[in-house]
Parts: sequence; C-alpha cells; structure tokens
Amino acid sequence: MCQWCMKHGAGKKWYLNSKNYFADQIAPENEMREYLEEQWKNMENLFIRKIKGFSSVGLGYKMKMPIIGRVLRAAAEGMIHSEKQHRNPVRADGHFGQAIPLEEAKLIMSELAAEPIIENYCLCRYMQRGTKECCCINFGVLSEIIEKIPRYIPKDRVVRIDRETAMERLEEHNKKGYIASVWFQPVPYINAICSCESPECGGLRLRTSFDLNAFYKAEYIIQLDQDKCQGCKQCVSMCQFGALRYIPSQKRVIVDYDKCFGCGVCRHACNNDALKLIPREEFPGWDGTY
Amino acid sequence: MGWNILGGDMSKAKGRSKMKKTKIKIDYTKCGDKGGIDPRECTICLKVCDPCVFLMHSVIGAEEEDPNDPQVWRITAVWPSVCMRCMACVEACPEQAITVKW
Ligand code: SF4
Ligand code: SF4
Ligand code: SF4
Ligand code: SF4
Repeated sequence: MCQWCMKHGAGKKWYLNSKNYFADQIAPENEMREYLEEQWKNMENLFIRKIKGFSSVGLGYKMKMPIIGRVLRAAAEGMIHSEKQHRNPVRADGHFGQAIPLEEAKLIMSELAAEPIIENYCLCRYMQRGTKECCCINFGVLSEIIEKIPRYIPKDRVVRIDRETAMERLEEHNKKGYIASVWFQPVPYINAICSCESPECGGLRLRTSFDLNAFYKAEYIIQLDQDKCQGCKQCVSMCQFGALRYIPSQKRVIVDYDKCFGCGVCRHACNNDALKLIPREEFPGWDGTY
Repeated sequence: MGWNILGGDMSKAKGRSKMKKTKIKIDYTKCGDKGGIDPRECTICLKVCDPCVFLMHSVIGAEEEDPNDPQVWRITAVWPSVCMRCMACVEACPEQAITVKW
C-alpha cells in the first residue's frame, strides 16, 4: 500500500475506502462543486496557465536547470498532492491518479462509485491529439458538472449509464489496451475512472516524461511464467510502456519490471496463461515502487 | 532534451545530452486567435506528432459568451523537450503555421 492508502485508505487501499466516494463527507457540497466547475471549464489550460510566474510549457527543460529545476519539481509535486483547504482549481491542485487492473475498476463501478454515472469524451485525448473518444467514466457530483460542458458531451449517445454498462465499457476499453486508472479530484475525493493512453494522458505525461507523481503505478506488477510463454509476441503490442520485449534467442518475452505500471492489459493478449498480476508488495525487488 | 517519451533520463545517452533546446513556434495569425483558422477544425499537428508535443486549448483571458463553451482556441507546443525533430508537423500543417528550430 502506498502513502495515500496509509492516509486515506482506512486500512485498505485508498480507492477501496467507500468514504472517499462521498463528496459531502469530505467538504461542503457547494465548495466541492465550485472547485470542480472551475477545474473542468479550464482543464485544457492546466499546463499553460502561469501561477506565480511559472507554467508547464517546456517543463522538461526547466526541470533540467540546476537549483531552479529542483525548486520547480518540489513546487509541482506540492500542487499535485495538495491537501490544503484553499486549493487552486485551475491548476487542478490535488488531482492525481493510479493505475488499477480491470478487476478493481469493475469493483469500484459495481459497489463504490456514487451516482449519477456518466461516460464522456476524454479531455486529454482531445487537447493532445484532437480526437474525441468517449471513454472516461465520471461519477457523483462531477457528472453533473461535466454534463454542462458541451465539448465533453457526445450528442449522439446516452451519457448517463448504469453500473452494468459502465463495467462493460471499462472492459471494452481495457481489452483495446487502454489502462484503467482511478483519480483523486481533489484528494481524497474520488470521482473518475479513465481508460488512459500514453502519451496523450496528462497524468501519464507528467510521470513518464518528467517523473512527477501525478500518476502512480498500480498496487500490482506483472509476473511472467517463462515456461508457459510460447513466444507468440501478442502481449508486446499491448504494453504502453515498452515493458515487454520478445527475444529471438530464447523465443520468449522478457520483462522490464522498472517500466511495468501493473495495469494488466497485456494479460488480455496471452492465450497461454503466462502473464499474471501479483501484488507489488509480494515482489521483493519492487515492493513500494509506486 | 534529456527525457524519453516512455520515461527515463536519456541525458547520459551519447549525443542527446549535447543537443540544443528545440524551439517550436506557432504563428497565431495563420492558426489561432490572431486572425488564423480555428485549430479545432484542423488538429493535424496534434495527430501527426508522435510524442504529443502540441496542446489545443482555449485562450486564457479571451472574451467568451459562455465560459462552459469557449470559442477562441489556439495550439501551444507545450512539451518541446520531448520533440523528436521529425518535422512531421512542419510538413503537415496546411497553414504553414509551425516552425521547429534548434
Ligand atoms: S502473449 Fe503470452 S505466450 Fe505470447 S509472448 Fe506474451 S507471454 Fe508469451
Ligand atoms: S507489462 Fe506491465 S505495464 Fe505493460 S501491459 Fe503488462 S502490466 Fe501493463
Ligand atoms: S518535429 Fe516531430 S516530434 Fe517535433 S513537434 Fe513536430 S511532429 Fe512533433
Ligand atoms: S496543423 Fe497547423 S493549421 Fe492545423 S491545427 Fe496545427 S498549427 Fe493549426
């Protein structure tokens, strides 16, 4: 379990603690609404907005600068993980997520997510790839806010969905190779399960390109049964992080555990039962590496 | 420079560490809010750029009738450090609005 489980998990993983799904138990409802409205109206501006003279444009170069780079990193992570009372919604303070396997995404949809549940266009894919793809599941107070923002709402389909449909949709996305992820927004309120693609996803961008913890690796990590692997290579194209590679000399795949996010989507491709997810804490070398 | 799109510090990789910063500019008189076309009608640079250097966003401070439905948009090259210098964007932009230099 990660630091957020310790803080907000009540003995469980943070995203399995039912209390985190009720906005009114976390903050007065009007405050929560105001924050989320401001955040979502402005979401595509998140990375270009200057706050205290600093925007994320060219972040990679800025973080390479001595001293300033370190100050920036600390400031950025401070904002991402902020639990202060007056957080800045246009910087999405306190908004970050974690990869989860499909099984847990479905569990959240069946038992924990607050209603109403909606499926809307992925804003990351829109702002970074210009594509509208309906694959983000939001729930509770946030649904009612997103429904009012035309660019995220498909006109040709039902936006509010039931728990069953949400679970089916998550499975569809996951089997395509999109990673299920669950989000604090703002911490400790949980109101979204996304089906992410890298490098479009804003959270994954901050993590994979700049090593900022806006997106944590899952509580799990992949385990390959070398004897069962037939070397069919099917799994390799499923992994968004390049953690799997086929080596001709051994006629099987090898795993780069450092790159594995534990999303589990590679499992869908394997017909030989060679890939399993195991809890990260049971993998000696990778315990605690979220 | 220095950061691989898939993660990891590439600065030790030979050659890459000595590379100059990549500078990417969009001419907003050709595409964007200074008289150019509406990028939402095009989105080609977003599609051709493998590492997703570009961001399409509403313009901060623009006058909008409905803040939930902004109509003034532009493109910013938000992550130049992951640019691969492939020039796909420069070649594909129908308005010749993009320059990539280093
Ligand atoms: S899909 Fe399964 S059998 Fe095929 S290469 Fe991957 S692990 Fe091996
Ligand atoms: S190897 Fe790890 S990161 Fe890659 S698809 Fe499998 S579980 Fe996900
Ligand atoms: S040169 Fe290539 S990598 Fe760089 S911004 Fe243009 S399309 Fe993207
Ligand atoms: S390709 Fe050129 S015209 Fe099209 S959105 Fe990008 S900058 Fe604008």
